[in-house]
Amino acid sequence: MEGVLSNLLLGFSVALTPSILAYAFAGCVIGTLVGMLPGLGPLAGISLLLPATFGLNPIIAIVLLAGVYYGAMYGGSTTSILMRIPGEAASVMTCIDGYAMTQRGRAGPALAIAAIGSFAAGTLSVIALMFLAPTLASFALRFGPPEYTALLVMGLLVLSYMSGGSMVKTLTMAVAGLLFGMIGIDAMSGYTRFSYGVIELSDGIGIVPVAVGLFGVSEIMLTAGQPTPPPVQKPTLRQLVPSRDELRMSVGPIVRGSVLGFLIGIIPGSAHIISSFVSYGIERRMSAHPERFGNGAIEGVAGPESANNAAATGAFVPMLALGIPTGPVTAVMLAAIMVHGILPGPMLIVEQPELFWGFVASMYVGNVVLLILNLPLVGVFVNLLRIPYSYLYPAILCFCILGVYSVASSVVDVWIMLGMGGLGYILRKFGYDLAPIALGLVLAPMLELSVRQSLAMSGGSFEIFFQRPIAVTMFVVAGVLILLALRPLVFKSKDWRAEVGLDEQG
Amino acid sequence: MSETSVTGAPRRLHIDRISGAVFVVIALLVAWENRAYPLGTLSEPGPGYMPLGLAIALGAFGLLIVLRGGASPLFDTIDWTEGRRAIVLLIACGVAAFALGHLGYRLTTIALLVFMLGVIERKRPLVTLLMAFGFAFISYFVFATLLKVQLPQGPWGL
Repeated sequence: MEGVLSNLLLGFSVALTPSILAYAFAGCVIGTLVGMLPGLGPLAGISLLLPATFGLNPIIAIVLLAGVYYGAMYGGSTTSILMRIPGEAASVMTCIDGYAMTQRGRAGPALAIAAIGSFAAGTLSVIALMFLAPTLASFALRFGPPEYTALLVMGLLVLSYMSGGSMVKTLTMAVAGLLFGMIGIDAMSGYTRFSYGVIELSDGIGIVPVAVGLFGVSEIMLTAGQPTPPPVQKPTLRQLVPSRDELRMSVGPIVRGSVLGFLIGIIPGSAHIISSFVSYGIERRMSAHPERFGNGAIEGVAGPESANNAAATGAFVPMLALGIPTGPVTAVMLAAIMVHGILPGPMLIVEQPELFWGFVASMYVGNVVLLILNLPLVGVFVNLLRIPYSYLYPAILCFCILGVYSVASSVVDVWIMLGMGGLGYILRKFGYDLAPIALGLVLAPMLELSVRQSLAMSGGSFEIFFQRPIAVTMFVVAGVLILLALRPLVFKSKDWRAEVGLDEQG
Repeated sequence: MSETSVTGAPRRLHIDRISGAVFVVIALLVAWENRAYPLGTLSEPGPGYMPLGLAIALGAFGLLIVLRGGASPLFDTIDWTEGRRAIVLLIACGVAAFALGHLGYRLTTIALLVFMLGVIERKRPLVTLLMAFGFAFISYFVFATLLKVQLPQGPWGL
């Protein structure tokens, strides 16, 4: 404990120098602006700035990039809350209640809680990172294909059970998303599936066109043609600040989201995306008034935002402690460190303590800078809503096209976005949740790979999923959820969702 | 939207029955298309293994939705007030996507914004043109010049 504190002191002595603080600030500003542009997320921001960091010293380089990372994560939440455009999968859940709060004139508190939740989650995760990094990193390595399969199946079932409407309909959407994820080259055999000669589809369908189409475009289709357009909002200062009740209601979701996000975030792969979905589901289930979710519940913003941010920090655990990147963002960050001749891994803490602890401290500093920067900016962002909707939606549509095109310079992605917009519009008319499609799409390659690898490992026996403790535990949880979902059918009792008007429809 | 029952009386369609049936049809189509990919064996699943499993799941869920869809709202009750404009917007964006490669980013964006603001929303011509040109050129500057995103060029380098 004493060792950690003295090391942290060393870290802060590095991170609090004026030049590092200036770079952290610059990184957060650039990240926030890049994150607000649809289609450009943390990865694009970091990749764009990477060459500029080659001439900097490694600590400054990593502080700048970490600032961009956090800033872009927050910037993505801003467009989700104000315009219902998630820039990436992690922001999908934020746009459900965040945008509903905007429609109710509570955009300011939603943005403020997103900033506060991100800060709190970032802080808690940095503390966990300091004390638990080596232990958790070795735990994460115990995840083999069967454990991944169990985790992903459990994630999909948790989301389905805890979502608002019919579990059958939610699972249908998740399966549809998984099917979308089957398009493109099969990683194990090299077969190109369901691409029908369209070369751009060989790489599969990206999450950005799907998320922007399903959420952003479908919303404009539903709203732009209404006989009475949405009213122009002119928020007062009081409306920009979360009320005492809103702050009180957000504490629990922020703490739970932070713990959940951090634990899921350390697992290598795309599993961290589950964290915001599961957090939303848990908050809804725990709420005394689940009917508020989907209609602007602040817990629906606080939980997923915290989980999302904590997962981002958790992802640094295997990167720093073991030198294993958990996703594209950490891979680029790893490259930024390695360019300077530094090899992350178990020896990094011993050989380069000022870099390791300086990085940990700068993550904390980055979170503080982001909070100081963004809370006053809430008022600026909310002013966007003063623009009449008839002027706003054409610009948003153009931004959607521009943002989606920018991801891969592909017109096919724009077609996919428009197709998903139409699909989302119809599915919403028919009462289907759209979030499971996004989750299914992101998890599909990972789920397929882990299922096939598990079966290959066991010689075709499904028993492998029930022979390993971590996998068994997660499948038991999944099984319990299915039983709970079947209970109303067997005992003719009412499902908890029925009590809030969200009874099984399918 | 109604169908005729065996007795000849019109029978109303429920939204879940329609959507569930569509999912069953999609599942059958996916399973049919999946014939092109080897299923492999249980110990060595092929590229067709997972899509077939998912198609079966989609079909099963679709069937469940159809069977339990009697309690869902009727198709007639869906409000399509905004439907026409929604379709027009989607088609306009589709045309813009097609034009992007031929006219370039700036000209396409100007045309799309002029259509949406001037034709659909009937804003004043000056405001429409100012917004269309302003948006196209400023966004091009931010994305193409500052962020080095490759945006398509049209005639005259626009």
